[in-house]
Amino acid sequence: MNQYTLTSTHRNILFGAMGLGLVCLVLTWIGDDVQHTRFWSNFLHNSVFFTMISVMALFFISACITSYAGWHTTFKRVWEAYSMFLFVGLALLLFIGLGMYMHWHHLYHWSAEEDVANDPILLGKSSFLNKNWYFFGTLIFVGIWAYFAYKIRSLSIQEDSSGNEGFMHHKSMKVYAAVVLPIIGFTSAATIWLWVMSIDAHWYSTLFAWYSAASAFVAMIALTILLIIVLKSNGHYKEVNENHLHDLGKYLFAISIFWTYLWFSQFMLIWYANIGEETIYFKERYNNYSALFFLNLGINFLVPFLVLMRNDTKRKFGSLIFVSIVVLLSHWLDYFLMIKPGALINFNHSQGHGEGQIESGIHGTMGHGTEHVSNFVSGFTIPGLLEIGTFIGFLGLFMYVALQVMTKSALVPKNDPYLDESMHHHVI
Amino acid sequence: MANLNNTEVIYGLYNDEEDLLRAVKTAKKDHLEIHDVFSPFPVHGLDQLLELEESRLHQAGFIYGALGTLTAFLGMTWIYTKDWPNIFGGKPYWSVPAFIPITFELTVLFSAIGMTVTFYIINGLGPGVVNKHLDDRITDDKFCLAFDKSQVNSEEAVAFFKTTGASEVNSKTI
Repeated sequence: MNQYTLTSTHRNILFGAMGLGLVCLVLTWIGDDVQHTRFWSNFLHNSVFFTMISVMALFFISACITSYAGWHTTFKRVWEAYSMFLFVGLALLLFIGLGMYMHWHHLYHWSAEEDVANDPILLGKSSFLNKNWYFFGTLIFVGIWAYFAYKIRSLSIQEDSSGNEGFMHHKSMKVYAAVVLPIIGFTSAATIWLWVMSIDAHWYSTLFAWYSAASAFVAMIALTILLIIVLKSNGHYKEVNENHLHDLGKYLFAISIFWTYLWFSQFMLIWYANIGEETIYFKERYNNYSALFFLNLGINFLVPFLVLMRNDTKRKFGSLIFVSIVVLLSHWLDYFLMIKPGALINFNHSQGHGEGQIESGIHGTMGHGTEHVSNFVSGFTIPGLLEIGTFIGFLGLFMYVALQVMTKSALVPKNDPYLDESMHHHVI
Repeated sequence: MANLNNTEVIYGLYNDEEDLLRAVKTAKKDHLEIHDVFSPFPVHGLDQLLELEESRLHQAGFIYGALGTLTAFLGMTWIYTKDWPNIFGGKPYWSVPAFIPITFELTVLFSAIGMTVTFYIINGLGPGVVNKHLDDRITDDKFCLAFDKSQVNSEEAVAFFKTTGASEVNSKTI
C-alpha cells in the first residue's frame, strides 16, 4: 500500500466540502454589505491561512534537510504535497491583489488614494503599502516559494526511480533547502505584513510576523498529524508508527508554547508601554471581541499544554486527534482575530467618509469615521455558520490538492539516504 | 533499581550498548534473573526490555512547577494588593500581565530545583556521599550486566557472558 489513490469516498467528501464552501461564499456575497466586506475578508482569511500552512510545510521540510534530520523521511511526502498548495495559494492571493486594482474590495485602508494623501502615517508607509507591492510582492515571493517547493519535491521523486548513488539528489536538495530557508525567513514576514498586518494600517508590531508564522506552523503540524492518521486508518503508512507521531506531538506541544510566548510578548510590551497608537489594536479586540480574544489564548495554550504534557498522550491516536482538531480550529480563529476587526473598522471608516453616507451597510455600525464598534456584527464579532462553511470549503480544497499530488508518487520515498534511520526511529 | 547492600554479584562488562541489549534479551530467554544493568548513558529500548516502570520524577516535577506558579502568582498578588500596594506607570495594583514573566521564572526554578533534589535523594547521591559501585569504567565506556550469585549458578553465568560477548567477567561483594 505504498501508493495512494484517491478513493471515491475521499473524492466525494472533498468535493462535498468544496461545494459547501462555494455555496457559503455565494451566500455571503448575497447577504453582504455594499463593499462585500464579509465575503472578501473571509476569502482573504482562508487564503492566507492555508497559504501560510503550505509555506510552513516547505519551511519545515527545508529545515529538516538542512539539519540532517531523518525521523520524518517516511512521511515527508505529506509535507511535499502540502507545499504544492503554494501554487493554488498564489492564485488566490493574486486574485485579491487584482481586486485592489479593479476596486472589487476595500479591505485595505491604504489602497484608497484619497485617504492616503490626507494621512501622514499612511503616506509615510506608502512606499511599501501600495498596490504594486501587494500584487508583485505576492507574485514574486510566493512564486519563489512555489518554485523551490516544486524543485525539492521533484528531486525527491526523481530519487525514487534513479537511486541515490553518490547522494546526488539529496545533495542538490540540500542546496535548494539551504537557499530557500533565509528567503522564507525574510519574505514570509514581508508578505504577512502586506496581507494581514496592513489591514490595521496605522498599527504595526515587529513581532507580528513571528507570531503569525508560529500560528500557521502549529496548524500545519496539526493537519499533518490528522492526515497521517487518516491515511493509516486506510491501510497506508504502516511504516509511520507511534514514534513518528510522538515527535510530531512534541512539535505540536512545543510550538504551541512558542506561539503563546510570542502572543504574550507582543501583548505585554504594548500593554506596558501604553502608547495610544499601539494599544489601539488590542483595545479593539479586548473591548469588542473579548470572548474570542481570551478563548484564542486559552485554548491554544492550555489544550496542547495540558493534554500533550505526558509521554503517552503524544503516542495515542485519540488524544492526538482531539488536540489537532482543537488547535487547527483555534489557530484559524487566531487568524480570524488578526483580520476581521481591522476589516470592520476599515469598512466603517470608508462609510463615514465620502460616498454620501450610504446607510445600507452593516446594520447599526454607521457613523462619521467611527473607530469604535460596540454592536454585534455577524461574521465579524464571532465566526458565523457561513465562515465555518467557507473554512470547510478551503480545507477541502487544500486537502484535495494535497491528496491529488500524493497520488502522483509513492507514499514512502524509496532511495532517500535517511530512509533507514526513519524506519528504525525510536523515541523512548 | 535493586538494592546493592552486601550482595555478592557476578558481572560482565560489554564494550557496546548493542551487545548489552542482546545480552539482556538472551538472559530473559534463558530465564536468568538479572540483578542490575549499568550504562554510562541512557540506552534506547533498555527500560522496556527490563520491564521497568516509568519514572515518576516528572510527575513530581509537575507538582513542584505548579507550586512555583502558585507561590509567584499568589505572592505577588498579596504583596502588590495588600502588603505594599504601589502604582507603577499608572497600572492597577493587580497587574496580571506584569506578573506572568516572574510566575514563569519561578515555575521553572521550583520544578528544576525540586526535581534535582528529588533525583539526588532517591538515588542516594549528594555532596560528601561516597557511593559503592561495581566498576569505575561503567561511568565511562563500559556497559555492565550483573547477576546475584545467590540467584544464579556461577558457571552458568560465566558461560552466558562468554556466549554474549562480554569483554570481562568479574565478581564482587558490595
